[in-house]
Amino acid sequence: MRIWRNKRKTDRSDEDHSFQVLLQRLTESDEFTQFTYASRSSTLCIGYYTSLVDTEILHRDILPYLKELEIMNALPNVLPIEEVSLEKDATKIQEQLLRGFILIFDINNLNQMGLAKASVERTRQVTIPEVEFSVVGPKEAFVEALDTNINLVRKRLPLADLVIKEMQIGNLSKTRVSVLYIDGIANQENVNTVVQRLSELQVDQINDSSYLTQLIQDNQNSPFPQLIDTERPDRIASVLGDGKIAILVDGAPHGLIGPTTFFEFFSAFEDYFLNWTVASFFRLVRFFAVFFSILITPIYVAVLTYHYELIPKDMLSTLVTSRSAIPLPPIMEAVVLELTIELLREAGARLPTKVGQTIGIVGGIVIGTASVEAGLTSNVLLIIVALGALASFTTPVYQMGNTIRLIRFPFLLMAHYIGLLGVAVSFCFLLIHLLRLSSLGRPFLEPFYPLRVQDLKDSLIRLPFSMQTKRPIQEQTEDTMRFNPMKAKEKDDI
Amino acid sequence: MEKKELQVSPFLVFFIIHAVQVGVGVLGFQRVIMKSAGNDAWMVVIAAGMLVSFIIWLMYVLLNRHQKDIVQIHKELFGKWVGGVISLIWIIYWLLIGIVTLRNYLEIVEVWMFPTINMYMFTLIFTILVYYCVTGGFRVVTGLSFLGVCIPFYLFFTFFFPVEFAHFRNLLPIWNHSIKDLTISIKDMILGFLGFSTLLMYYPYIKHPKKSQKWAQLGNLLTVVIYLFILIITIGFFSEGQVSKQIWATLSLWKIVEMPFVERFEYIGITSWVLIILPNICFSVWAATKGIQKIFNLKPKKVLLVLLSILFCTSVAIQSRGEIALLSKIMSLIGLCLVFVYIPLLTLISFFISKMRRGKLEKSS
Repeated sequence: MRIWRNKRKTDRSDEDHSFQVLLQRLTESDEFTQFTYASRSSTLCIGYYTSLVDTEILHRDILPYLKELEIMNALPNVLPIEEVSLEKDATKIQEQLLRGFILIFDINNLNQMGLAKASVERTRQVTIPEVEFSVVGPKEAFVEALDTNINLVRKRLPLADLVIKEMQIGNLSKTRVSVLYIDGIANQENVNTVVQRLSELQVDQINDSSYLTQLIQDNQNSPFPQLIDTERPDRIASVLGDGKIAILVDGAPHGLIGPTTFFEFFSAFEDYFLNWTVASFFRLVRFFAVFFSILITPIYVAVLTYHYELIPKDMLSTLVTSRSAIPLPPIMEAVVLELTIELLREAGARLPTKVGQTIGIVGGIVIGTASVEAGLTSNVLLIIVALGALASFTTPVYQMGNTIRLIRFPFLLMAHYIGLLGVAVSFCFLLIHLLRLSSLGRPFLEPFYPLRVQDLKDSLIRLPFSMQTKRPIQEQTEDTMRFNPMKAKEKDDI
Repeated sequence: MEKKELQVSPFLVFFIIHAVQVGVGVLGFQRVIMKSAGNDAWMVVIAAGMLVSFIIWLMYVLLNRHQKDIVQIHKELFGKWVGGVISLIWIIYWLLIGIVTLRNYLEIVEVWMFPTINMYMFTLIFTILVYYCVTGGFRVVTGLSFLGVCIPFYLFFTFFFPVEFAHFRNLLPIWNHSIKDLTISIKDMILGFLGFSTLLMYYPYIKHPKKSQKWAQLGNLLTVVIYLFILIITIGFFSEGQVSKQIWATLSLWKIVEMPFVERFEYIGITSWVLIILPNICFSVWAATKGIQKIFNLKPKKVLLVLLSILFCTSVAIQSRGEIALLSKIMSLIGLCLVFVYIPLLTLISFFISKMRRGKLEKSS
């Protein structure tokens, strides 16, 4: 009882005191501007962070009106600005100041602090998507400003049911993170999972949405991403309608989508802009590319190291001629070439676009031809490795493409160790790993395992829209029907 | 019954039953059954399949009555100690299935692909693979058996290559072997079907388990069809004399496969077979682990590690062809006794004991 009373006492005396401390701390930073301004009845003190405040608003909408100010309480009525408030709590004041508010107070009366919003937003314009570019379809991509991004999504979904939950994550960065879902479609269990995982995060900085992917996905050690990141507002709007949940992060031009499946990582959003036959064909090509990219070099190494009996004699002669002068064993040859390609990619990614292109040409043509002529690699392997690399770039989601390129190396080593068996064993490892993965608690290999025939319509292939009447089972949506299939089939013309 | 999140849908029983039945046996069962049944061996396959189907039905009768796995049924019927010992016999049997499958496969690899392979390392890699799968839980093991049936299914289409050179008149004359020969042959054929008894362990993991019997029977049917298909092609392709000299007749069939980019198809066949035998081993190891865990109340990871080290040591320790054959023989003998003698017996006992207990209850009330 006594302790409690003491505490209250100190609290009260602190109030005045803590504001002084706050002011002192604020003025320590040179960027904090503070000046006095004489109004009709009293002397006001005005303070703000120069970099966060739009001085035009200050001079146009605040200072002239302050002249008329009689008492502090009237501040919200006097200023022609939306967000004006009176605060007493020092920590809140500090928070607001750091968000671009202007502090206004009467020097003689420290009880009432006025805060007026005059923040300046320095953001990029909405531009065309670069990572997920599509020839047809919308050309908007997210930018770094969260409000702009939410606006882009909301414009596509004018729904009161589109719920946006905002929270702050990071002790230092205090990043605003928004969870988007459509109430009545999204499964509440999924929403709870996301919100709970986000709110329990212990981290100091969130600089991009990819931080969140790594922090909240089910298996954090897996090379496979379990949340899709996308820069397309149309894609986010579309999957929200499927019952998925999207996460947007302030300062990140990529949103996250979950729960998702392995096969979704290989669907480009452009698939929905093309006719379903064409789109399905492209998807199948992409899946073929993935397996080709992972398996082709390991198979080459395995066959040439152990199982040359596998190759028919006509083909064997081609291989033998191309390899006859090469002193290196197949594994060395393959690893060196694969690493070269990785080097080229990495150099190209780190350099400015113009220089990057030059490097690509130099690397691709000059190094390739030269190494074949020098007798270090066979031209058959050069073709195989180049094709494999090309195939790995067809993956629409960048993060998944990286994974595909990474997992080739264990395959290669195993292929060298026990030939085709090594490839098979690695493949089994891969399968078991994928079976064990889940995305926000939902199985990752769905719709194949667990087999859900209904969801196959938008997995390896994409069937026409008129057949996509039901939302995927994967998300366990509350409302399973997208639209009335009977009405969709009726055609009124003639 | 297990928690709902851990359960799998009943139709997956189709894949589980099929995956645990088909193992290394498919690669070389022809010689064994044609030794005594000759060109009538196809009848043997059908008869063995029907017998197995009957046993599956019996198992469902037993399990549907108790709604528990076999370890708990034993405990209920025979008490803690006797029941525990009988359950242990089953567990040893399941582990043996795993060992025999793995060792037989390793032998094929050694003989056909890699005479110089480092057995220790390869067994170790395989053991790690099994560990990684089984620690994922029942859903992962089931998933692997599902994919292990679907992905390598393309292999069965390659058996159409030898059809071109087959003489199906070899099948005639029908019924030129005595019933006694056929019976011996059926006994040998049953080996190819063993493993389905793990159903006794995973029954509580099936959603609506009573409905799953249909799928279990269909799974068994698929196994019969596959055996029959391969056997008929073998009978057409080889003469009886030739088959008696082929230890792995299926692999020899693959030698005929010719494609513009590949020769010696059996290499690809053996490689793909990894995906077929892996669920097989995983399931038997999973059943054994679950069993021990239920009897002794131990942590599953520790049990699994112990069982896998037994699996590893045994497969490495067995060296010669003779030892492998002996182990297979022991395994099939235990299997025959357990599946074809013990399960009908247990079903009867369970029937009478539950009737007696019900009678007692009625009397006392």
